[in-house]
Amino acid sequence: MVKVVLWGSVRAAAGGAETVEVEAKNVRQILDRIGELHPGFKDRYDEGVTVSIDGQIYVDDWFQPVTEDSEVYLLPYLEGG
Amino acid sequence: MLDKTKDPVAERDFKVVGTRPVRPDGVDKVTGRARFGADISAPGMLVGKVKRSPHAHAKLVSIDTEKALALPGVKAVVTRDDFAENKKQCDVLRNIMAREKVLYDGHAVAAVAATSATVARKALKLIEVEYDVLPHVIDVDEAMKPGAPLLHDDMITKGVDPEPETASNIAQRYEFGHGDVEKGFAEADVVVERDFKTAAAHQGYIEPHACLASFTPDGQGELWCCTQGHYAIRGFCADLLGMDISKLRVTASEIGGGFGGKTTVFLEPLALALSRKTGRPVKMVMSREEVFRASGPTASTSSRVKVGATKDGKITAGEAEFRYQGGAFKGSPVQFGAMCAFACYALENVKTVGYDVVTNRPKQAAYRAPGAPMAAFAVESVIEELAVELSIDPVELRLINAAEEGDQSSFGPTFPRIGLVETLEATKAHEHFSAPLGPNQGRGIASGYWFNFGGATSVSLNIQPDGTVALAVGTPDIGGSRASMSLMAAEELGIAYEKVKAIVADTASLGYNEVSHGSRVTFASGLATIEAARNAKKILCARAAKMWEIPEEAVEWVDGHARPAGANAGDFEPMSLADIAKVAEQTGGPISGHQEHNASGAGASFATHMVDVEVDPETGRAHVVRYTAVQDAGKAIHPSYVEGQFQGGAAQGVGWALNEEYIYNDDGRLENPGFLDYRIPVCSDLPMLDTVIVEVPNPGHPYGVRGVGETGIVPPMAAIANAVSAAAGVRMTELPMSPPKLLKAINAKKANGSA
Amino acid sequence: MQYEAPQTLDAAVALLADARGAARVLAGGTDLLVQLRSGAIEPDLVVDIKRIDELKKITAEDGGYRIGAAVSGAELGEHEGVRALWPGVVEATELIGSTQVQGRATMAGNLCNASPAADSVPAMVAADATARIVGPDGVRDTSVRDVATGPGQTSLGRGEIVVSIFLPARPARSGDAYLRFIPRTEMDIAVVGAAVSVSLDDEGTCVAARVSLGAVAARVLLVDEGARVLIGTKLDDDALQALAAAASAACSPINDKRGTIEFRTDVAGVLARRAAQTAFERAKG
Ligand SMILES: Cc1cc2nc3c(=O)[nH]c(=O)nc-3n(C[C@H](O)[C@H](O)[C@H](O)COP(=O)(O)OP(=O)(O)OC[C@H]3O[C@@H](n4cnc5c(N)ncnc54)[C@H](O)[C@@H]3O)c2cc1C
Repeated sequence: MVKVVLWGSVRAAAGGAETVEVEAKNVRQILDRIGELHPGFKDRYDEGVTVSIDGQIYVDDWFQPVTEDSEVYLLPYLEGG
Repeated sequence: MLDKTKDPVAERDFKVVGTRPVRPDGVDKVTGRARFGADISAPGMLVGKVKRSPHAHAKLVSIDTEKALALPGVKAVVTRDDFAENKKQCDVLRNIMAREKVLYDGHAVAAVAATSATVARKALKLIEVEYDVLPHVIDVDEAMKPGAPLLHDDMITKGVDPEPETASNIAQRYEFGHGDVEKGFAEADVVVERDFKTAAAHQGYIEPHACLASFTPDGQGELWCCTQGHYAIRGFCADLLGMDISKLRVTASEIGGGFGGKTTVFLEPLALALSRKTGRPVKMVMSREEVFRASGPTASTSSRVKVGATKDGKITAGEAEFRYQGGAFKGSPVQFGAMCAFACYALENVKTVGYDVVTNRPKQAAYRAPGAPMAAFAVESVIEELAVELSIDPVELRLINAAEEGDQSSFGPTFPRIGLVETLEATKAHEHFSAPLGPNQGRGIASGYWFNFGGATSVSLNIQPDGTVALAVGTPDIGGSRASMSLMAAEELGIAYEKVKAIVADTASLGYNEVSHGSRVTFASGLATIEAARNAKKILCARAAKMWEIPEEAVEWVDGHARPAGANAGDFEPMSLADIAKVAEQTGGPISGHQEHNASGAGASFATHMVDVEVDPETGRAHVVRYTAVQDAGKAIHPSYVEGQFQGGAAQGVGWALNEEYIYNDDGRLENPGFLDYRIPVCSDLPMLDTVIVEVPNPGHPYGVRGVGETGIVPPMAAIANAVSAAAGVRMTELPMSPPKLLKAINAKKANGSA
Repeated sequence: MQYEAPQTLDAAVALLADARGAARVLAGGTDLLVQLRSGAIEPDLVVDIKRIDELKKITAEDGGYRIGAAVSGAELGEHEGVRALWPGVVEATELIGSTQVQGRATMAGNLCNASPAADSVPAMVAADATARIVGPDGVRDTSVRDVATGPGQTSLGRGEIVVSIFLPARPARSGDAYLRFIPRTEMDIAVVGAAVSVSLDDEGTCVAARVSLGAVAARVLLVDEGARVLIGTKLDDDALQALAAAASAACSPINDKRGTIEFRTDVAGVLARRAAQTAFERAKG
């Protein structure tokens, strides 16, 4: 199981859950599992999400691998200026 | 300062990277030859102009275009009726052309195409619009109050449990943090709590929005425009006009500044719609007034920050609430503000809450490190006050609490290698830090953080028959990036900088490229350029191997030459890139390298700014007399342009801190839509803006690059507020610190003091 | 819109007097062109006065100087004689705009545009300058104070042109100065302007003074009380405080995007005091 911390607007999209534990080997599987748990999450995920794995930030990158030891945060889709 | 075991990338010796050659677009720009948005023309071109709402908030009852269309020279008018409803781009659609309501002064209600600007202007006056004026709201705190005029009847605040039953102007509530702030405050010896306000500031790019659209009768479109992201513009426009993406080709012009403000559409879909209707090219250029009224400034904000610390300077808790209004539609950058607010500190207990609020103002657009500067202004002002209360030097206080590799960030993830401490150390070591201050002068210091993004990037690098290199990137050059890309290509290929020519290609020529935003270009396009060069090198080596009749693996690329790898490979004279390029056709065909990726490994950049301000205590005028910006660049590819980014951030920060603000009158109309009364700093307002480039390499980039474009605007407002407050002897908590406000505060303090 | 650039004053006056519809004089155009482009005004006739030779000259007259209405700020700034006699008027005119604007902008245009915030006008009022006006009914001289009657309003009749500004002679040991407050360092509109002119006797006592303020009322003000408190003093601290108080008391400003009533009132006093100090130093030589 991978522990995923949900942050900011992502948390609201997933029914307010702070963390979820999912069976997943990569980012897409994480997103799919959360989507199954929280139907509202799907829209957010289509809009794009940012995932931090062990402090490294990935934008919309489905196949980044994760392990049980990974620190995973789902952050709002980042936009800059 | 650099620990080479910690920072392995730092070991590399660079040949070209780190030098300061002239930029490839420089001569064109100083001779006036460069073609900006408004410089593009086409035969038979019409002039497009927009009719805008004079009301801050009104129902759009009817639009009558008959008289305008009857005017000789008028070829077409478009209104809301010319754009189909679009669920996905619902807000973008309503922002470019009002539908049910006008939501701000300057909101577009119609656009006309005519044979001349004079005719177009006359036509605008002939368009009859019936409004049903509604009460409006401008201020963020007012907009949040129950009973405030509602912009959207269906706006139910998200992120609140239980979900509210009635609509409000609050689009969403956000929360970030970890630990227990109540416990943290209980442990504190000193707690400082303050309220802050910041005014809406415009990016102030010198070039107004401009475009030329051309639509052929068979449904093919072409668009030339000044933008930070022509692929994104293509996507928005194709969607809003209901056409295939491949049928719209967008070319980015040279750009006279964007700073985040040119990452979305305003005129472009209107010009395309007018061109589609008339069958002729249509050019549209905003006036400065239109830029102010109807493009995207950043949010105005209101906030409360509370920080507690022990006597020895350890911060025990940080808490903040941020309220950002982002104009008429949801999407203010409050999330990012709430995430970045305490990012400089390793905190056990931290909590930030953000509210995204709508008001009757133009929809905000990104502005350098969107959301972070306002939060940093508030937090770093409180940190300064704590330092004073604790009698600890402000840099020392920051060092005690500074976030480092392995610390949990205030926005969640654990920080990888970052360079905040190094910027603080460099600040302390700078001569400015201990330079004496004159009368009525004060010194302020603040730090700041902003993310760095990667994202979709596509680059193509073509080796020409004469051994020169054409590099095509898809990220508009908003800060000297063509020079930086050329440097990286030259470095990787082992050739001279002058042999590389970089261009920004149109949307038909390369794969999708995300917008030039998020400080991502030198990082992400740079990474793709390096990979593309590496791919080209593989082919170059393979061609040499063919010619030498040895296996490909037996050839390596060193110093711009293919050469046999080791003694066993055979004894051949190394071949230069030019040697191989000359016979490319005979050895298999043209040689090119390309790279398409979603770049990851971006590294964040921290900055610390130090500023001296002199205040005239009798007039409240604050003048910046000395400025030093210190920032981590990871690795400065072209140091001059890195310094330019630092300086640009500081200069814009000075404006935002001291004078820039959107001023609305009681009717909700913008009072200062021009550079006369919207006061960006002029040259003589600024001292030399000194810079120090700190280089703590980003392990996620082969050269160590960190994006530097945005962080530079995060600390200035706080640093200047700290300096002004020190000089004037009163704590300033509202931006801008314009003379009337500052004088009032000084006089109030005098009155209190003598009473 | 019809554009004319006559070479004689008579032709200019005739064009203006005979114009059907709205007519405007064009000097440097640094106000007029901005107003035209923004659509604020839509004149039918524009008469450019820059081709009229006699309006391009600065001439010595009765110990003072007559400055033609088409003389630009840059040209005025290069005139040693005017600089020496009325340094405050020159410095006020040179504050207008930027180097580019200076190449075009005129004092007469600044006056006739009738902005209460016009920079050169308080200095001209403190200098007791007169405007020479030519029109269909001939020539008349009037105090510069009486040209602007309110924001954007002048006392000029139909077909009348200001042809020159006369800066009078003044006794030895005289000096003037102008200061304005702007939030930036340049390219801005005065939030408050203050001009002071003083003449001293051999002992350095002030024997004559004029104090004028801009941007603090609908018209540029002449503050008699400010002059009264300076005369008979050596501009000691008490006199300067009294001047500041008199200047603040004379203000009747508005709140607008550029400043508040409170701010303008306060700063008018500060600037009047500072300008008086500079004028005093200049008078002492
Ligand atoms: C960028 C910029 C910066 C500026 N900064 C300042 C500043 O710092 N301070 C300041 O005070 N002003 C400033 N101005 C305003 C303007 O430059 C001045 O008011 C200037 O003195 C106007 O002179 P002009 O010769 O250009 O007048 P014009 O624009 O030619 O004319 C102004 C008005 O006066 C009338 N007029 C002109 N000459 C005569 C005449 N001889 N007889 C009768 N009517 C006449 C015109 O019809 C018009 O209505 C600025 C303007 C710009 C564009």
